Amino acid sequence: MKNLATILTSLSFTLVAMQYANNAEAIEVQEIVKQTNHNILYQGDDGKTKIDMRIIDSQGRERTRQLTMLRKNLDDDDGLQKYYLYFSKPADINKMVFMAWKNVNQDDDRWLYLPALDLVRRIAASDERTSFVGSHFFYEDVSGRNIDEDVHELIEETDEHYVVKSVPVDASSVEFEYYINWVDKQTFLPIKAEYYNQQERVYRTYSVLKVEVIEGYHTIVQSQMEDTLTGAKTILDFSEIDYDIDIPENIFSERYLRRAPRKYLR
Amino acid sequence: MSVLSERAVKSPKLFVWLPALLSMLVILMVVIPTVSPIVAKYLHPLTIDVDPENMLFEDDPERVFHRQQKQVFDINDLIIVGVVNKQDENGVFNIDSLSNIYDLTEFAKNIQWPSKDDAQTVEGVIAVDLISPSTVDNISQGDPGTVKFDWLMSAAPTTDEEALAVREKARNQPLLNGSLLSEDGQALALYIPITSKTISYRITSILQERIDSYAGDDEFYISGLPVAQDTFGVEMFIQMGITTPIAMTLIFLLLWYFFGNVRLIISPLLVAMASVTLTIGLLVISGNNIHIMSSMIPIFIMPIAILDAIHILSEFYDKYPDFKDRKKTIKHVMRELSKPMLFTTITTAVGFFSLNLTPLPPIQVFGTFIGLGVIIAWFFTITFIPAYILLMPESNFSDFGIKKEVAQEDKKINLFARVLGATGAWSHRHAKAVLIITTLILGGSIYGASKIEANDNIVKWFEEGHKIRIADKALNEMFAGTYMSYLSLRSDETEQSYEDFVSETEVKLSNHDSSMLGSLAEGINELALQAQTSEQLMNLLVEKLELQTEDESLDDYLALEKELLILGPMSQVFKDPQVLNYIAGLQSYLLETGYVGKSNSVVEIVKTVHRELFSGDENEYRIPATATAVAQTLITFQNSHRPHDLWRFVTPDYLQANVWLQLKSGDNQDMIKLESAVADYFVNNPAPRELQHQWFGLNHINVTWQEQIVIGMATALAGSFVVVLLMMVFLFRSLLWALLAMIPLSFSIAVLYGIIGFMGKDYDAPIAILSALILGLTVDYAIHFLSRTRVLYKEFQNWPDTIVAVYGEPARAISRNVIIMGVGFLPLLLAPLVPYKDVGMFISSILVFAGVATLIILPALISLLQGFLFKTEGNETEINLKTEVN
Repeated sequence: MKNLATILTSLSFTLVAMQYANNAEAIEVQEIVKQTNHNILYQGDDGKTKIDMRIIDSQGRERTRQLTMLRKNLDDDDGLQKYYLYFSKPADINKMVFMAWKNVNQDDDRWLYLPALDLVRRIAASDERTSFVGSHFFYEDVSGRNIDEDVHELIEETDEHYVVKSVPVDASSVEFEYYINWVDKQTFLPIKAEYYNQQERVYRTYSVLKVEVIEGYHTIVQSQMEDTLTGAKTILDFSEIDYDIDIPENIFSERYLRRAPRKYLR
Repeated sequence: MSVLSERAVKSPKLFVWLPALLSMLVILMVVIPTVSPIVAKYLHPLTIDVDPENMLFEDDPERVFHRQQKQVFDINDLIIVGVVNKQDENGVFNIDSLSNIYDLTEFAKNIQWPSKDDAQTVEGVIAVDLISPSTVDNISQGDPGTVKFDWLMSAAPTTDEEALAVREKARNQPLLNGSLLSEDGQALALYIPITSKTISYRITSILQERIDSYAGDDEFYISGLPVAQDTFGVEMFIQMGITTPIAMTLIFLLLWYFFGNVRLIISPLLVAMASVTLTIGLLVISGNNIHIMSSMIPIFIMPIAILDAIHILSEFYDKYPDFKDRKKTIKHVMRELSKPMLFTTITTAVGFFSLNLTPLPPIQVFGTFIGLGVIIAWFFTITFIPAYILLMPESNFSDFGIKKEVAQEDKKINLFARVLGATGAWSHRHAKAVLIITTLILGGSIYGASKIEANDNIVKWFEEGHKIRIADKALNEMFAGTYMSYLSLRSDETEQSYEDFVSETEVKLSNHDSSMLGSLAEGINELALQAQTSEQLMNLLVEKLELQTEDESLDDYLALEKELLILGPMSQVFKDPQVLNYIAGLQSYLLETGYVGKSNSVVEIVKTVHRELFSGDENEYRIPATATAVAQTLITFQNSHRPHDLWRFVTPDYLQANVWLQLKSGDNQDMIKLESAVADYFVNNPAPRELQHQWFGLNHINVTWQEQIVIGMATALAGSFVVVLLMMVFLFRSLLWALLAMIPLSFSIAVLYGIIGFMGKDYDAPIAILSALILGLTVDYAIHFLSRTRVLYKEFQNWPDTIVAVYGEPARAISRNVIIMGVGFLPLLLAPLVPYKDVGMFISSILVFAGVATLIILPALISLLQGFLFKTEGNETEINLKTEVN
């Protein structure tokens, strides 16, 4: 199975490369996108971060959630990855866990553990553009969108930024027409991404509000997703960030959903 | 003769042109700001307002609450588009129909335009909240053991199986079944939220255009209160434009029949037009919107304006042959009429001004401006008409006027005059019989009036065959209901202080059976400092317990944790399973009342998600046992495409909740009954925790102002009755004569309400304001009749001779009025809008009642009471009277 996945991956890369074979710039776009993807999601072998989530609706009402995220890379070319998200606040979702295995050429595997119902459920991931626990981030924004799902184009290059326009390969699977990403040339981290709807109007804006260097890695420590049309938004604050802490792979299994791996969460 | 009329006679040219000049002026002052936004900053443009919310004051508590709750729960006005297919055995669940529905949804999502006032905001359809198969989520089972969130219909189906699957999915979602999917599973309805109800007509027209482009057998019905309101606003102007000229034409023809002189009879119509123009102009210039009520101002002012002019023309027509000189005749006429006309004007105006006693702004505006219009009409009547007559060449009148000699010699020639004369004599002879019949009619009317029900429903302001009525009927037969009502629930519970919680928990822990939990009591104060809230403290205690029990089995630990969590603070009210089950009970009760097609609340969300978490088992369609389980069910829901749908039913702090009711009827009566049934439920079934309930939504707003209108109109009517009575006392210097003057109007009001009661017609807003018109119009006839009677009595000094004279010219003027007005307003019956029909029918019949009451009841009463009535006219009179009676 893994072989098939690898073949498919390289095949799609080859296709993309062939498509732009006589266009040096286009290949460079692919590099920009790949590097950015890596810097957002794959830095280090594994990592831990505490996330404070503030969901602010259009009326200014705020809801908060607190969770700790564990992440482990399982291959070297930014493919398979496992996530363990442990919720601690508000009190009534304390100990709730969301776990995901990010697959490359098939749908991700997702689990939800609801302690109050003592229930582990798999969540079908046919559509990853659904809300992540009621926030303005989609599940796909958290675990990353496969870079091959869009066709990328460098539409502008300034002294500081690459401006990349990405158009979905399968338009029917997403709600946007395209999005434009401003990538910082120094850090290869996005500064801002704007999602356009059918009327060519921005309806969703992702912004990186703060970046710090942690253990040698440029790391996003504050980001925001805004519903541009209503002004509602979700702000994520990342803290207690740690890289390369040797999280065993077996933590990311159903067994650890009911009893959290305290050692790695603290 | 009044000073003003004399002035007019002296400088006729000025007074002939005055109404035209004034009209032009106000027209310019209205048109310029309406078409030019720059000027609009200084002058008010013409704005239309069909929002029934505006029946209430801006700061009315019910309205303030309604708006605030709409914002809190992010509720917008809805346009409902029902799609039906009667040809296909599966209804709309076929490839073509669903493709149309998919297309219409995508199309509707994009109906937006930048706001005129603020370029930053857009107006139109609120796409994210649109409810359609392709925009709502389906929570279901995916692969075994998997919960799945996906779009109910992500794309137009390509096979019959896919089309039928949409129906099965929708049927399985309690929030959608009956609302999105029809109760018989054959039709679908789209709920299209819009930024403001004032754009519903515009959006409906855009949708209709798209719908018209679809081939196939699908029938589309567009409904919803906002559509009805906005459509009414648009059609009301069309009606004003169609029926008013028809009424004018008919009045013109009748005037022509009575007076023959085309050039002369144009004058009352000009007075009416100028009065209407000036009144509406002033209304707009003074910054008022044209509301449903004020749209009826022209129809009310027209008869009143023409009424006085007809008195002048009638008198002029009858007297001209005596003088054969227009100047002399008009002077005579104005001398005779100026006093009664002044009084009739003041009484009519008072009747309308009294509407200010109603606590409803549009009715106050309506009353004020009609009152003003009446005075304007009076001014034009007593100045323009004499001036106009003077400017006509004398030759125009060569063959003008009643053929008096002929009339007296051979009454067959003038049937009209003959019948009238006979009426007076007959009434005089059969005075007692007349009174007995009157009393009987009055008794019947009062009985009828007692059966009146105050009720209103704007959808019923359209005729049966109107597409709004058809859509309303079709959709309410198939779906849970197109009338949205909302029951807001909140708790005023006071929260326990943190300090109290800490000390209480410490005691509970130290007394606990489990020593493991007991040991947690020791360090609790340290943890309490670390945590800042009760919830946070519980989290820390759980963590501590976890550390202490690392060696125990997971199940032992979980059992202990459960015990610990029981000690936690009271959950947020609307996560409390007891409260949710109470709401569920209320919701089934709502269905039993028969007024509610369906109700939706957070309960349906919790139950549905809970069921799907437990493999879709119907037995799991329930509220879980603990508040944390409810919370975790709800957070699962928020992983969907539309997590914000939750906030339509609860606030994020879970201190307020909202039950969304779909009603099949927009009748205020049904809403009133529902409200009282719900109030009973709360009394008879105490809630498990402190709960307050309050209604909002347009149905409740309508009920609120209806209640105010009923009380308000009664106050207004009583108020103006008293004022008019006092004025009559002043005019006649006699209480008895004054009371007499009040008889025809009292009789007319009683008969009108009696008929409404017997017809089973609802007492709605248009009917309510009609009573002000009755008061104003009917007292006119009585004043003319009685004041002329008194003048003529001085001449003849006995009642039988007087009565013959009164039934000459004065009675003819009154009955010409009755006929012209009565017939003139019948064209309103052609209008497809029920309030216009009502106004037309009731104005016509009121005038007839009032005319009959004046011309039949008054002489009978005078005959019976003449001993008292003419006593004050001097001893001589009295003696004469006595000899006459004997």
